[in-house]
Amino acid sequence: MHDTGAGHLAGRQLSNTTNNAVEYADEEPSAFATMLGGLIEANVESRPEKRKDFDSLAARVGIWVTDIDEGVTLEFRKGSLVVHNGMQPKRDITIRAEAETVMNLSNLRIGLFGMPVYYDGVGRGVASKLLQGKLRIEGLLSNIATLNTVTRIFSVQ
Amino acid sequence: MAVMFLSDEWAKQFEDEVNRSSVYKAAAKGWKWTVGLVVEAEPDKSFPDSRGVVMDLFDGSARSIRVGSAADAQKCDFVITAPYSRWKQVATKELDATKGMLQGKLKLKGDLPTIVRYTKASQEMTECTTRVPVIWPDGN
Repeated sequence: MHDTGAGHLAGRQLSNTTNNAVEYADEEPSAFATMLGGLIEANVESRPEKRKDFDSLAARVGIWVTDIDEGVTLEFRKGSLVVHNGMQPKRDITIRAEAETVMNLSNLRIGLFGMPVYYDGVGRGVASKLLQGKLRIEGLLSNIATLNTVTRIFSVQ
Repeated sequence: MAVMFLSDEWAKQFEDEVNRSSVYKAAAKGWKWTVGLVVEAEPDKSFPDSRGVVMDLFDGSARSIRVGSAADAQKCDFVITAPYSRWKQVATKELDATKGMLQGKLKLKGDLPTIVRYTKASQEMTECTTRVPVIWPDGN
């Protein structure tokens, strides 16, 4: 169970079962940081295939929510994650989208060979935002494999 | 006809709106958890005591929606908490509930992957609240 208002957990272990898998860099993590950190923690805890991706991923991923002017940087360190408030430097990938699209990214289905599915309703919606420029992914071309891994870790489907 | 916020009539109209919504029915297929809304007191807004809404939702329909105490709502599987004026902003479309949660204006307790999986259902649930004409304790 998660409480998105639980800012006092900064820098502490969130769960005994994940061995410090998710930590927060800031003393007062934003609600968005706590929500994303909590979501990833729950996914990794409950789904072995996501744990495998999590254990292999080393990357810095920024997510900026354009309609609330808030963002986080996710620093994946092969088996652990540090969530920073705001945009930190040296990001491999930066995703910029509205809140609804960010939520939809978490609802992408994962299909054959671990690829996100872009041909169902949610996938078409995400692809359409990308084509309209309402979903921008900086670093996409040089980090497609990383983006797919991040998407798999994020996805609740 | 407008009804007083958090009255039994309001709960009934809200329940009817949810059960009328084909969008909710499709988006909430498979949902089987209770949802509690905690409306925190704001005495300066003529809302002196915290109250709760307990929603028994199952597989795309509302089995019951009733108004109770904040403690009743806190016992639900998922609990969303905000002060009275925030809920008013949500119900009058001044605040998008998804954005509100990402900003911490609405505090969510419950299994995050589940709630994210049902984002569309929760958005439609919010839409249903906006369709109920309401008389607010602090005026409209």
